[in-house]
Amino acid sequence: MPRGRHDRYIRPVAQFRLQGSRVLAVDMAGDSVKARNGSMVAYTGQMNFKKLTGGGDGLRGMVARRLTGEQMTVMEAKGQGTCYFADQATEVNLVRLNGEALYVEADNLLCTEATLHTGTSFTGLNGMASGNGLFTTKVEGTGWAALTSNGPAIILRVTQGTPLRVDPGAYVAHTGNLSRHLKSGAGWTTLIGEGGGEAMQVEFTGEGLVYVQPSEKATFGGDV
Amino acid sequence: MPFTRINGKMVEAAVFPGQQLFSQRGAMIAYTGDVTFKPNLMGGQGGVMSMIGRRVANEDTPLMTVEGRGSVLFGHGGHHVHLIDLAGDTLYVEADRLLAFEGSLQQSTMFMGAQGGVMGIVRGQVTGQGLFTTKLTGHGSVAVMAHGGVIELPIAQGQPVHVDPQAYVAHRGDVRNKLSTALGWRDMIGRGSGEAFQLELSGQGTVYVQASEEKL
Amino acid sequence: MSYPPQQPYGQSPYGQQPPHPQQPYSAQQYQQSYQPTQPGIPMPPMPPAPPTAPTPQPGGNGPVVYDAHSLPVNDNVNPYAFSVDLNGPYYLQKGKMIAYYGDIRFSGIGRGAIDRLLEQNFNSPLHAADWVVAEGRGRLLLADRAFDLNSYDLENGNLTVRSGNLLAFEPTLALKQSIIPGFLTLIGTGKFVAASNGPVHFVEPPIRVDPQALVGWADCPAPCHHYDHSYLHGVIGGIRHLTGLGGASGEEHQFEFIGAGQVLLQSSEKLMAERSVGQVDAEEGVPGGGVPQQPGHGGQQLPNIPGLGNLGDLGRRFGL
Repeated sequence: MPRGRHDRYIRPVAQFRLQGSRVLAVDMAGDSVKARNGSMVAYTGQMNFKKLTGGGDGLRGMVARRLTGEQMTVMEAKGQGTCYFADQATEVNLVRLNGEALYVEADNLLCTEATLHTGTSFTGLNGMASGNGLFTTKVEGTGWAALTSNGPAIILRVTQGTPLRVDPGAYVAHTGNLSRHLKSGAGWTTLIGEGGGEAMQVEFTGEGLVYVQPSEKATFGGDV
Repeated sequence: MPFTRINGKMVEAAVFPGQQLFSQRGAMIAYTGDVTFKPNLMGGQGGVMSMIGRRVANEDTPLMTVEGRGSVLFGHGGHHVHLIDLAGDTLYVEADRLLAFEGSLQQSTMFMGAQGGVMGIVRGQVTGQGLFTTKLTGHGSVAVMAHGGVIELPIAQGQPVHVDPQAYVAHRGDVRNKLSTALGWRDMIGRGSGEAFQLELSGQGTVYVQASEEKL
Repeated sequence: MSYPPQQPYGQSPYGQQPPHPQQPYSAQQYQQSYQPTQPGIPMPPMPPAPPTAPTPQPGGNGPVVYDAHSLPVNDNVNPYAFSVDLNGPYYLQKGKMIAYYGDIRFSGIGRGAIDRLLEQNFNSPLHAADWVVAEGRGRLLLADRAFDLNSYDLENGNLTVRSGNLLAFEPTLALKQSIIPGFLTLIGTGKFVAASNGPVHFVEPPIRVDPQALVGWADCPAPCHHYDHSYLHGVIGGIRHLTGLGGASGEEHQFEFIGAGQVLLQSSEKLMAERSVGQVDAEEGVPGGGVPQQPGHGGQQLPNIPGLGNLGDLGRRFGL
């Protein structure tokens, strides 16, 4: 399947826009996007949908997904017209990538332009804390990606000297050159076993941006 | 119009003597003044048979009659509320999405057969639920609930709109609809119910779509 | 600060709002534009944006990127997240921190060296297990399952709030158990943060409120129960009770507020999780609200089970 930087100059580019804060509208003129399976809520014009086994990443991506247990099934929407995507009334956040990598929880990836490459990367930390598996979805290339978050995502900058600590359940995505460490909240050891709270935190250091949502997924650290 | 939008999830309704309102049971948040809430023994305006029909059809959304003088706040289940004004035209909406509407509107419970059936067909074929939907006609306002708010998509001649049945909220105007299984969608059977179906709405009018595949 | 409290999303005042001489509190609203507020304290220069910063979105100004300095000072970041400029102790419900910059320690209440301080703030030991103390310096982001957050300033005042809705408060406030089960009263001067399902709507008494939609109240006397008698009486009511046909209106029972003050409503009847205040919740929305504790009794039923009369306790009470 043709994809990547070489043909993005030839193909018409899908236009991503927000219709309200919870619906993504993509205007297409014969090109295609990859979206979370079943996230189409409406479309006008001519549109075809195809389920992509293994996320359209070829054998390697498919094997990775099998291994990781990441359950995001992806479909390809292709056609002429406008296609509307939404996921359980979550907020849609548009991210423009210019060659860098976006790491995102698989649950939070709604739609990507065909020019973007998605794969699975081993990350360990957050997956371990949030029960999402040990792998995170990595989106690379140049183009638009749409993330969902429960409540609008807040973008927090991490620089040298100002590390950021995040509740694993509130973490959505990050870009940049960041390293992550799982920390237990200082002084919290006495509380583990009583239902957790902020018992586990992820510390981001380096340079980059972290997307957090004003909500917390259930984590097995406890009722948060 | 008696409804005032307070915020995305709450509307205020002014109640005057002689002007009935109907609302979903349990949708009252607060009220001032002398207002009474009576369960609608007659099942709206459709009579007893209509009510029994609803029960049989499992489209059992009891309505309250709201009367008196005062002001009432409505909201329900944390859902977003969308106000729709009708000026002589017809709104088709699932009964359980109705938050409140003016008594000036003619309400009927429609059997959704092969013709014009939206949720009827979908429910019957896909989810096995009832075959009834609510039709409101006349002049007045309707407050409709949706998960995550709604977007309005215009339907014009030659420009049909395809909607995920789970995200469909309501439609108005001179609209024909049919349930289709689009080529390619068969691939998706087996992952989530109803995903293989689309509603095709054509004609002249508006369809209201919610930002979620979650049914109310 | 203005009165009546500013209402989010341009809400119109509900009912008549007579002028009030004293302003007991105000709902601090997030800024309309969600632009970060710059604190007045000197701070190190902002580092240059890394090359990975997202480019502006189409048709917009691009997403706002916050850092340790540009996060709002004790204000909303958006309707669902609140940024605390931490400098000293601060109480928050367990699990409501989503992110923070700086050097912040979290400790359980009832353990450690600050117990003496706690005695002033927690007059009910039952709550202590649900709360933690954040100490240190930094910016702390609070959120609760994407519910709307508001902060309230009390000036030598009191405000009673549903226990599940209270998120955080300054240690200058005292937290006490309300005489109404399931509610907490904050007394003193300081700021607290409360969540609501949908934006909070302020109304003035007299008003009758669905129990599940009640967030709290300020200044006015505690509410009383109101039952709709007219609905329950008469032939129709009897038929309804006997047959279940016609159902209950679902609105037979309200909290009635009278007197001067403000009532806080959430725009939804979906209850947030209750925090235990050491009482058995006898009825949804009416924790321990005077319902006789009889097993299998109608008062224990959810208010909107379809097909049932749902008169339950009320029917018995009025002899139907």
